[in-house]
Parts: sequence; structure tokens; C-alpha cells
Amino acid sequence: MSADVAGTPPAAPKVSLVIGSGSVKCAAAIGVAQVLDEAGIGIDRVVGCSAGAIFATLVAQRNDAATARKRTVELWTKDLTAKGNTRALLSVLAPKLFGFSLGRFGLRDDRKLNERLLEAFGDLNIEDTPVPLHITATDFGTGDLVELRTGPVARAIRASLAIPFAFSPVEIDGRQLVDGYLSDPLPISVAMKHGARVIVAVGFESPVQENIASAGRFAFQLSSIMSNNLLRARFSFHSVAHHAEVITIIPEFAERIRLFDTAKVPYIIEAGAEAARSQIDYLRRLLSADAAPAHPTAVLADSK
Amino acid sequence: MTQLDFVATHHEEVTVISVQGSVDSLTADQLTEALGSQVSTGRIRLVADFGAVEYTSSAGLRSLLGSVKESRRLGGDLRMAAVQPAVLRVLSLSGFASIIKIYDDVASAIASYGAAA
Repeated sequence: MSADVAGTPPAAPKVSLVIGSGSVKCAAAIGVAQVLDEAGIGIDRVVGCSAGAIFATLVAQRNDAATARKRTVELWTKDLTAKGNTRALLSVLAPKLFGFSLGRFGLRDDRKLNERLLEAFGDLNIEDTPVPLHITATDFGTGDLVELRTGPVARAIRASLAIPFAFSPVEIDGRQLVDGYLSDPLPISVAMKHGARVIVAVGFESPVQENIASAGRFAFQLSSIMSNNLLRARFSFHSVAHHAEVITIIPEFAERIRLFDTAKVPYIIEAGAEAARSQIDYLRRLLSADAAPAHPTAVLADSK
Repeated sequence: MTQLDFVATHHEEVTVISVQGSVDSLTADQLTEALGSQVSTGRIRLVADFGAVEYTSSAGLRSLLGSVKESRRLGGDLRMAAVQPAVLRVLSLSGFASIIKIYDDVASAIASYGAAA
């Protein structure tokens, strides 16, 4: 790396990384971050939504790919959602008898998830990560996107992961917060608001259900339909309305990835890395051009 | 220098612009200029042949949207053909696939103007 005349080395080129919702598929962001690092491209800010908040935190902590993979496999296990919340179910069936509490309504028992997030992130606060971290959730009272910039990481991720019906909302600063995907499944707007010029966005559409044979799958299908349409609407608006350059990385998975396909985490990370590698040359040229803008003219060969 | 390559071919009232490269922040102005130069000469029935386009970023989306709006404002259209999977995923994610007509190949895109011009 060359130094300028004052002897100060030029700042490394940087991008903002946004990781959308997408369950364990969000682990692809680990591969993306690895490829950026290998290319000498820094990350000046990372935004995470829903499961993407877990991987945003791992990136913000500057975990290397091997460590991030190990921590993912330790955190993301099937027993997270194995136990039902009987009281919540009874409150649906007989609300007058059992009472209905918004803050406790989630059909899955969340104690294991809370424990696991605390094991993984302890008392780490959002504001303490080496790379600025933003975790998004949704205000259940208004539907607004909520950007969490301070406070305990474990609680913020839990709020960002509060899948409707499955996990109860989380109260933070007097607001009941639910899953970030309900307000924006790929919140590039957060990076834009903070002045990002080049955004690498890792996003996924929700899978459609193959066989709808239960009320649960019916609900998931409805959720997928709505969140996919929201994703397209928000992404298109922000892409065309703002001058920031958004480089979308949508890893291709030849195999179907299910919610707890933890054994596929290495495959998912590699798919993310592969998708990122295809953009590295362009990113390098773009970041160089930002330092010294050039405006080539069109070359149009007209033939009949 | 980063640049796109273009070849324009005319098929009666339809002009096909074959594009090669990636449409991104460094090249989107070239696409805008290439499409705009056709529209400015009255050739408003356009087909963007994206068979050799590897990728498009948000800057590419902005360029395409501007060209679609201008050609439609003048009574024409910009239709896309042979869009590769990586580009199609971005068009789909951004909702562009719902407002721009996309065809499997150039011949179908040209023919579409005759069928429902």
C-alpha cells in the first residue's frame, strides 16, 4: 500500500454490508465478508435484519470465517424451537380463561433461544463492536422499522428474530418489537441513511411452501407472500430513488436449504463466497473510480 | 477503462441494442446514452439484448427505468431479451420484472411489437 506525501497511508476502500432476513441462508454473509477481507476491501458498517442480525454481529465482531462458522453451528440448532409454549396456545383457544398477553404471545418456547443468544454474545453491547453495527426490528405498535444502535446485542437479535406467532415480541425502550422482516426484509435504507456510498446487500426471498398441509405452513406461506412483495417494493424504491450503488449478492443454492440445515452451513458460506467473488473485480474498479472519477463515453457500433 | 460494448441493429421499426459487459455504476451512463441516442432519433421501439450482460447493480436499474419511461412517454417501449440468470434475479428482487417486458430471446422480443405494439 502506498503512502501519501504526508506519510499517511491512504484509507482502505470500504463498503457497507447489509444482511437481510433468510434464516440459516444468511450464513452466506460470512463467505461474502471473507472474500471482501481477502480482497482488502473493508466494511465500515454492517446492518442485519432477523437471522441476518446474527451474522451481522459476527461480522461486526470481526470474526474470521472459521470462527464465525463454528459459532453458527453452535448457536443454530434444532432444539431452539423444539418446545412449544402451551400457555400461548391455550390463550389462543380460550383467551377469556387463560388471558392474552402481547408480550408473552409466541407459540414456541423461547427460553432456549434466549439462553443460546446469551451464550453466544454474553453482555456485548451493540455500540461496542469494532465495526459499527445496526440491528433492525419492527415496532409492533406502529409497523415502523426500528434501528437498534445501542444496548445488549443478545436482546436486540432476539427482537429482530421475533417471528410472528412463533416467538413473542421483545420490549425495548417501551416498545414491543417484532421481527425486522415485517418492516423491511433487506434494510439497505439504514445504510443509505448513514451515508453509505457503496452497499453490498446479501438478500433472500422467502421460500414458498411445497406442501401446505397444516395451519403452520399456511401461515408461513402467507408470510412469504407478503414479505417477498415487501422486499421487492422496498428494494426497488431505494435502488432507484437513492444515488448509492447497491451491489446485490444473491447466492445460488442448488440444494434446498431448510430452517435447521446446520450441516449445510459450510456449503452456504461457500455459496456466499462464490457469489461475492464474481463482484470483486467490479468493486475494486468502483472504489478506485470513486477516488479518481472517470466518465468514459459510450462506444456504439451501428450495423444493419 | 470500464466500458460496455453495444451493437445496434434495426428490424423495421424495432431497434435491438445488444449489450456486452456489466451494467453498473461505472457503465450505466453509457447504457443510458446508447438507448437515449436511439430514442432521440425517433427509434422508440427498443429491445435491449442482455444475452451478454453479466450483472446489473442499482445504477443499471436506474438507467433501465429512465429509458423505459422515456420510450413509453413517446409511445414506444424498451423490452428486454435473453436476460441471464444473475441479472434476472436482480430484476426480480427489485420488482422490475413486473414493469418491464422480458422475453426469452431477441426474436420473441422483436415479434412482440408486431403482436401487441
